[in-house]
Amino acid sequence: MMDMDLVFGLFVVGLPLFMLAFAWAMGVWISNRHEADLAQRELAVAHILVHNTGRLQDAVTGSQPPVMITSEVTLGVDHFRGFLGQWKSLFGGQVRSYQMVLDRARREVVMRMLEQTNAMGYNAVANLRIDFADISGSALARRKAADISVLASGTAYYVATKS
Amino acid sequence: MIVVNTESIPGYHVTSVLGIVQGNVVRAKHVGRDLAASLKNIVGGELKGYTELLTESRRTAIERMLSQAQELQADAIVNVRFSTSAVTQGAAELYVYGTAVKIEPIVQASTVS
Repeated sequence: MMDMDLVFGLFVVGLPLFMLAFAWAMGVWISNRHEADLAQRELAVAHILVHNTGRLQDAVTGSQPPVMITSEVTLGVDHFRGFLGQWKSLFGGQVRSYQMVLDRARREVVMRMLEQTNAMGYNAVANLRIDFADISGSALARRKAADISVLASGTAYYVATKS
Repeated sequence: MIVVNTESIPGYHVTSVLGIVQGNVVRAKHVGRDLAASLKNIVGGELKGYTELLTESRRTAIERMLSQAQELQADAIVNVRFSTSAVTQGAAELYVYGTAVKIEPIVQASTVS
């Protein structure tokens, strides 16, 4: 009978711990892979001029008129980081685990915009705007782990290349 | 139709402003997507279902804005902005608005002389 209690006790304590450890390991793996992926993709679009001013400096009229480009991404915060974030909010202070996810989401959404711009043959993006969308109704407050939705928009155009 | 989120369009100048055009859409996620997302959320990473939902909503909102602009016989929409609001739990509104204008291509001075 003692053994049964021990097994049950280990199960009750062990399962949540195992889930947290699993979420932590997978979360680290996913975010590292994403960051490596971003670093590589950033090289391919490094030549594109991006700014968030409305004036189109040095714009030249190419074969097609400027066009608005939009992109969006939703990232989930893994349960381990969500747990850390909750713990942190007891005492206040910087929540680094969330900051990192937000940062990745923004990089990803801008990357998608630049890739579209590149694919369409433009070489500059003006008036870049980045918004945060709350698609699940106050996700950060209500749930343990949040979804982070980021929307970006901008205007792709041609810029005179210095040569 | 030229749609940009800047105030001016290189190569064109605005001849008349027709007014604000807008489009909105309220979309909810279906339960299947919610379930898949909540599983993916354990480990983090991209929630593709929600990304698609946003892409579709944005497309619908832009289409509605475009049809309004077509009714006004506009040539372009400038200064387009997006905003989102959480209506209730599990539903979100995507709102897009811009200024419908008439435009004309700029005749380059260098080609005249």
